[in-house]
Amino acid sequence: MSVPYLREAAAQDDVGKLVRFVRLHLGDGNETVGKEEIDQSWAETIKILLRDQPVDREFITQVLEKDEATLALLFYHLHFYLIRRSGRWIHDGSR
Amino acid sequence: MTAADKDALSTTDPREAGIQLRTGLWQTINERYPGSMIRKESYVRQAQLAKPLASCRLTLVSSCGVHLKTEKPLDVCHPFGDFRFMRVPSRVKHEELIIHQLKYPHDDADLDVNVIFPIERLQELAQEGRLGGLTANFFSFIGYNMDPEKFECTVAAGIAEEVVEEEQADCALLAPA
Repeated sequence: MSVPYLREAAAQDDVGKLVRFVRLHLGDGNETVGKEEIDQSWAETIKILLRDQPVDREFITQVLEKDEATLALLFYHLHFYLIRRSGRWIHDGSR
Repeated sequence: MTAADKDALSTTDPREAGIQLRTGLWQTINERYPGSMIRKESYVRQAQLAKPLASCRLTLVSSCGVHLKTEKPLDVCHPFGDFRFMRVPSRVKHEELIIHQLKYPHDDADLDVNVIFPIERLQELAQEGRLGGLTANFFSFIGYNMDPEKFECTVAAGIAEEVVEEEQADCALLAPA
């Protein structure tokens, strides 16, 4: 899906097209895998938080003061970080 | 598939002309990634080599996402791609390089980068005199990209300018990943 196609979808608030793109991106072209990976990354956050470890809330406050473009991209970085932690990494051939 | 997409996939589509190892490939891609197809009306003719390879300074351009281990990688997580490119000194060895890419399995290339970025093979060819020489830098970028027009204006134009102006290459080996 090209950026112009996505801009058109965003202008029409066509969430279905936007979500499909995200799933294809995260699933390396496989929409079903992408959906599973999204679920998996959220599940991983719960597993981590269940350990009840201390958290740096001051850091989170500082991060959330950044611009929205940086935060949106950070969301993708956190997703892939969590997927790698989950042990179900399917990307790039590495383990 | 939009009407524009169907039009772009007409039988006169130059991407389907000639010998296609996988016929219908472009249609398959368009069904999976609707709106990803672009139609290019202008073509730059392939330049003829003006002198023998043994007298040419060659550069290497690859979409494999390789870079020096000492440098920060390109952004592999961005859903639209990273519109920057890396310079890879042509003198370095496999051990000094690393690949950052999510969209293709590079475990074999991690063992020997030359399978996708033949830097040491080119060094050998230059030492043997089969090539006139190598540019000081080679070029690498991330092939995954969702904005072809922006890519052309940034990555492609940037590399082309450096290849011609800075590196003064006579020819380029393009290695897609």
